[in-house]
Amino acid sequence: MTRRVKATGQVIALACVAGLLALLVWSVVHQKKAPEVGAMAPAFTLQRLDGPGRVSLASYRGKPVVLNFWASWCQPCKTEAAVLQRDWTTYRGRGVVFLGVDYHDLNSDARRFVSAHALTFPMLEDGSGSVTSRYGISQVPETYVLNRQGRVVAHLRGPITDPGFATDFQNAIAKAAA
Amino acid sequence: MLRVAAVLAAALVFAAPAAAGCAHPRTSMNYLQGQVMCPTCHTTLAMSDSPAAQRIRVFIAHRIAACWTTQQIEAALVANYGQGILAAPSHKGFDLLAWWLPIVGVLAGGIVLAFGVWRWSGRKEPEEPDEPTDSGLDEETERRLDDLLARFD
Repeated sequence: MTRRVKATGQVIALACVAGLLALLVWSVVHQKKAPEVGAMAPAFTLQRLDGPGRVSLASYRGKPVVLNFWASWCQPCKTEAAVLQRDWTTYRGRGVVFLGVDYHDLNSDARRFVSAHALTFPMLEDGSGSVTSRYGISQVPETYVLNRQGRVVAHLRGPITDPGFATDFQNAIAKAAA
Repeated sequence: MLRVAAVLAAALVFAAPAAAGCAHPRTSMNYLQGQVMCPTCHTTLAMSDSPAAQRIRVFIAHRIAACWTTQQIEAALVANYGQGILAAPSHKGFDLLAWWLPIVGVLAGGIVLAFGVWRWSGRKEPEEPDEPTDSGLDEETERRLDDLLARFD
């Protein structure tokens, strides 16, 4: 009887340790990483910030997409906004889609930001950051350029106004649209 | 930074006279800063000075000034940021595990401890033999040993 109780206790203790170990391995394996160039961009559906309804990335399949992650509290996003709006007006005629994803932000602040910078391309809200984390975003702004198949052509970590990024950004759009 | 501080100060100034108009006790910024997480730094608001945390502080200050209750403010933040904005897990679904597991753990530990104490206290001490046991010596040797020992008495 005693031996059986002892053995049961040991089995339970071992099961607990194995469970914790499995949890650790799972969390390490499932760490969110940024999709690499050439990989499929993670699919998502998000609420629109600038109006009612939801938008899914899949609905833009067949078009090049510029996916810009930003927040109203992010200082570099303010300088980037005007350039994004200018590029959007330049490229929209060529079928390029610009999508803004507002991350970890108050919706009221975000709407004020969109209005203050007169941004007209579609804006989506990701308050919880669930989509943003699947893109491995560590700091905003960051921009992905996706080709017509939904694959990543470029990932720019930082404002597209950064020296060097401007050319990379234009080249990435040209490549995505090809 | 200065602008945020100014807004917070203004909210507090306006909050004081407005307190009389509240139908319920006003919640405090200090309390909510311990209940709400900073979404970008994964610490409580009280421990963060990030831009995102500063904006949430301003949001809370405005709501406190407008007599919102803790529950109303938390609900508004959850609607905006999701459940993860709260420091404590919710009381439903999978989150219940976070509340019950520590209790189950303490109970299981208590049971194991009680069982161990019960087993330890129930263990019998080896009894003293009432009579000397057979020494294994023959009679002659035993008699001589007794004689020898008697000399030391």
